[in-house]
Amino acid sequence: MVRTSAKGRQNRVRIARLVRDLTQAQLAEATGVSRQTIVAIEAGDYAPSVYLALSVAAVLGESVESLFAADGMESVVKE
Amino acid sequence: MVQTRFMRWAAVVGDLGSPFYLEERQRDVWNEASAVGFQLMIWLSLAGSTLSLWIGGRPALPYALVMAAVSAVGSVVTIRYARLLGVEPVQPGAHRWVSFRRVAVAGALYLLFLGGLVRAVWSLGTDSVRHGFLIGLPLGLVVMVVGVVLGVRARRAADRAADAGQPGDVPS
Repeated sequence: MVRTSAKGRQNRVRIARLVRDLTQAQLAEATGVSRQTIVAIEAGDYAPSVYLALSVAAVLGESVESLFAADGMESVVKE
Repeated sequence: MVQTRFMRWAAVVGDLGSPFYLEERQRDVWNEASAVGFQLMIWLSLAGSTLSLWIGGRPALPYALVMAAVSAVGSVVTIRYARLLGVEPVQPGAHRWVSFRRVAVAGALYLLFLGGLVRAVWSLGTDSVRHGFLIGLPLGLVVMVVGVVLGVRARRAADRAADAGQPGDVPS
């Protein structure tokens, strides 16, 4: 049985982090979480809380929607 | 958050104010790990107390009862904590979160436990004990069934009342 809390959600955190030339450890320190948490978010194994998502987005200079919007949700988010 | 005396006590027992819980994924993973450990403990205590009754018989009775009581207290505290925060582990109606297979295995184990209990008490030998047990067991079962039925009815009524509430309502 698959863990309900880990459904392989896709996101753009890894790409945005690499664009800003940040390591996972640096992003973790800037957002106040462990590096393992950043690893899990990038792998889609962990859906962050809204507060952590906002913090990650702020550090990466992106919006939460652009980082975490699920497939097919972009149009909904833009409306 | 509902800050009853029970919740304050639970926070102390669970060490819920620990800085460990600040990191959200750490908290989530630990909660999942605790769920695994808790479920395992419940299954093992039920299986262990059942086995000890069938293998050990009468001498194992007090130990089996203590083991069953400890796991029952843990379960009741867990369910009460969740309910106070608005989470219902088993909801009547559409959302059934516990699989039938799991309930069937647990039910079979409880029946085996009950059978072992009857067998062990019966072997105590005295007529007064047997007589009391013959009256007490069905009486207890009836009380339990009535309690479950009343509980489910109350929960359904509460769900209907909540469904009929305004969109802005929040659970108390």
